[in-house]
Amino acid sequence: MAAFPQPAKNCGMLQQLSTKPPKQTWLWLAPYFAIGVFALAMLVLTALLQWRELDTARSALEGDMHWAERTIESRLHAHQDFLAELGREQEFRQLTYEAFQVRAARYASENPEIHAIIWVDTDGKVEWVAPNDATATFVGDQLAGVRLSALQEALRIRRDVVSPDYREGSRGASHDIILPVQRGSADLGAFIALQSLEGLLRATLPAVFTARYSLTVVSADNREVFSNSSVKPTDRQLTGAINIELPNNRLGLNIVAYRGGGAWLPFLPAALIIALTVIASVTLVQLRRHARRRAATEEELRAAYAFRQAMSNSLITGLRAIDLDGTITFVNASFCRMTGFSESELIGIRPPYPYWPDEEFDQLQRNIDTALAGKAPHSGFEMRIMRKNGERFDVRLYFSPLIDTNGQQIGWMASMNDITEPKRVRVELERAHERFVTVIDGLDSAVHVADAQTGEILFANRAFQNIYGFDAVGRDTALLTAPCRPAPDAYLRDPQDIGSDELPCEIYDGEIQHALSGHWYHLHERAIRWVDGRTVRVQVAADITDRKHIDEVNLQQQKRLEQTSRLITMGEMASSLAHELNQPLSAIANYCAGCVKRMQAGNYKLDDLLLAMQKASSQAERAGKIIRRMRDMVKKGDPNRQPIALSELIDEARAFADIEAQRTGTQLIVDLPEQLPRIVVDRIMIEQVLHNLIKNGIEAMSDVPVDRRQLTLQARPVDARTLQVTVADHGHGLAGVDMEKIFAPFYTTKPEGMGIGLAICRSIIEFHQGRLWVTPRREGGTEFHFTVPMEEDDGERND
Amino acid sequence: MTEQRQIIHVVDDDEAMRDSMTWLLEGEGYQVACFDSAETFLKAYRRNMRGCLVLDVRMPEMSGLELHEKLDSLGSQLPVIFVTGHGDVPMAVGALQRGACDFIEKPFHNEDLLSRIVRALELDSQIHARRQRDGAISHRLEQLTQREREVMDLVVAGKLNKQIADELNISMKTVEAHRARVMEKMGVRTLAELVKVVLTVN
Repeated sequence: MAAFPQPAKNCGMLQQLSTKPPKQTWLWLAPYFAIGVFALAMLVLTALLQWRELDTARSALEGDMHWAERTIESRLHAHQDFLAELGREQEFRQLTYEAFQVRAARYASENPEIHAIIWVDTDGKVEWVAPNDATATFVGDQLAGVRLSALQEALRIRRDVVSPDYREGSRGASHDIILPVQRGSADLGAFIALQSLEGLLRATLPAVFTARYSLTVVSADNREVFSNSSVKPTDRQLTGAINIELPNNRLGLNIVAYRGGGAWLPFLPAALIIALTVIASVTLVQLRRHARRRAATEEELRAAYAFRQAMSNSLITGLRAIDLDGTITFVNASFCRMTGFSESELIGIRPPYPYWPDEEFDQLQRNIDTALAGKAPHSGFEMRIMRKNGERFDVRLYFSPLIDTNGQQIGWMASMNDITEPKRVRVELERAHERFVTVIDGLDSAVHVADAQTGEILFANRAFQNIYGFDAVGRDTALLTAPCRPAPDAYLRDPQDIGSDELPCEIYDGEIQHALSGHWYHLHERAIRWVDGRTVRVQVAADITDRKHIDEVNLQQQKRLEQTSRLITMGEMASSLAHELNQPLSAIANYCAGCVKRMQAGNYKLDDLLLAMQKASSQAERAGKIIRRMRDMVKKGDPNRQPIALSELIDEARAFADIEAQRTGTQLIVDLPEQLPRIVVDRIMIEQVLHNLIKNGIEAMSDVPVDRRQLTLQARPVDARTLQVTVADHGHGLAGVDMEKIFAPFYTTKPEGMGIGLAICRSIIEFHQGRLWVTPRREGGTEFHFTVPMEEDDGERND
Repeated sequence: MTEQRQIIHVVDDDEAMRDSMTWLLEGEGYQVACFDSAETFLKAYRRNMRGCLVLDVRMPEMSGLELHEKLDSLGSQLPVIFVTGHGDVPMAVGALQRGACDFIEKPFHNEDLLSRIVRALELDSQIHARRQRDGAISHRLEQLTQREREVMDLVVAGKLNKQIADELNISMKTVEAHRARVMEKMGVRTLAELVKVVLTVN
């Protein structure tokens, strides 16, 4: 079923797929936009936080600075106060060296930054030093340099002065707090506290402070005096500067906070945010790409499905899927249309199916069992099934296994073709073919079709097969029809050279005699395009032997007619001559009679009679001219004498006479000696004589029994120069007829005869210096004889 | 009309024949008219020609036989004597069967020709007389009125006056009057004469 999901189920999916707008890029841009905004917000937030942190740190720095300033100032004030107390006591001479020693040593030990407290005279000579073990200076030392000038300044202005810092020994930067002591207006000297700057800072500022900040002490002239520098990096953003106002001096303290954590720490959040954004974007891109691929695949799937669905629905072939038990799982539209059942009526049905007619039930059950057993024939089942309305129709059902995507057979697919129409068409075609074959085979003419190139016979009708054998198809026409084939140059066109655009094309049309059977055929050959497109030659051979025979007979009759008409013309001529002679003769008679009548009556004028007699005389002359002309005419027909074999003449004469002979059943017997010399005659004239005599003989035997109707032609030389020919019949004879009279012109014994035939024959023969005569036969019948000159054996042949 | 003479019309293509024929026939006292072809004769032909026609069978163009047929179709009653040559006899016989008067074969004896001409002219005279009589009766018949003609037809058919009156739906007296006028107009006195005259025409 996986291969054929329910169409209804898929409709929804298809609906969704098809309603999805084709392009919604903004939907895809939104996540990018959100990511961008978020990243920006986070960055801003981070920046804000850092800024606030910095602010806080700066506030703390300032607080610390103020605290440090106050602390340092109060310490310095304390030192000044102590010195001022010592000064007051010195002024009033209340202080002794010992007291000073005690008090100063104690103070110095309480304040570690104080190296020593000394009493110097006005010239800067150290007089007292406390504590005793102080090594910074010794009694008797003379102050020098900045210390001396600071002392002199303090003595001059009579106020406390702090000397500029100086370095002495290994004690680092130190300065002197100088308190001048006067009595009255006289300067006594000055108390000086030697203070170490490092010690001052260490004493005043706790370790926590120095651990957090880098401190740099600068002198009034901005010279770095002391620094508790560390290798730790400092934060340049958190700096501050303190100015500690000292008497006659100034001390600067620069504070720079050490950086908390690594240098990269502030950038970490931003980096993280950017990294995350990038990752999110990349993921989104990948996601989108995936979604696109997925959409494309879905589109393909949808198209494929729609295509398959359309294909299935548009198929004329009905499709039906059944599972392995025979339950129908799928039918296409065509199947429903063919059977008349709806899809819902068929899905889920097990055999027997509703479209099985009762009478075919067993057969169809057998078929489905065979199919389910996988033994359905490749050619399918031809069966008769029933529409819903009960109408029966013929189908052909093909089975093929239905394989799912896992390669597992899940049922059988059957395609069903309605073969009612094809079956009808096939029957029609068969009938048409039968008609065609009947007509073609019914033809008298031999028809065959041969390939123009190979000569292979593609089709031959029965008449052709009757002539050339029943295995004609497939053989080579050139070999098969060789006995009855025109010479190659007799063809109008060579069929092998005819281009397909010239078809159809006449190749041959003519008559030809079959060399073996002697039959005459009228061959008509054309080149045409065969049913499969190649060029073939179609030959129709009509047996025209009978027609040919009739034609021949007609030709002979025609010749005979010409012959006869020639005779008739001669008769006509004679008749015309007679008529022409009649004119002057009648005129002469009239003139004479007129004269006689007039003379008898005595009523005449001599002149008239004379004129009439002259006219009669001229008419007599006219008659004479006619006779002369007649003679001239006969003379003029000088025969064309040539040597010719008698047998040849007889054959030709017979050709005309044979028809008549066959009609009347007369037997013509030609009995000629061999080695007969040729005769020297006008062949047409002698032919006429022969023909006339043969015809006469045949006609003479028309009233004797058929078995006696024999006409014999014989010839024999009578001497070296003369041949005698005899035509003998068994007819009624010429009993009681003058044998010579029959040769007279216009004498005839035949009802329709003209009576000139024999007369002319005699003239012709006499013309050839021969004789024509007749003798009766003893056994009945007549013999006509004539003689003609023979060719002499000596060398006179050429004249 | 009655004075018109009988003329022997000779149609022959041969000049000598025409001339000798004329010589012969004029010697016998006949009037002769010669024509050298059938066409020439047809041009001269009139319905009331008298005499006879001596016609040569063989002539170029229109033959004697064709001329005879043509004349027949024109209603000619002129007697025709065919003159034939040798071999034309069957033809001439055929012509006779189709109504020619006679034929003579060349060369002929002059007496034979003359006797045939005499017979032909007699025939012509008879024909002429009959034609004239018929013409007179027809003339009389034409003078009858319609009613008289009806009455006459019934009278000739042998009907009695009473029957005629009934049939024509007229009175006996009227019939009698018509009948008398018919007899008068037709120039007859008896019923028998009337019947004879009418039958001759019909």
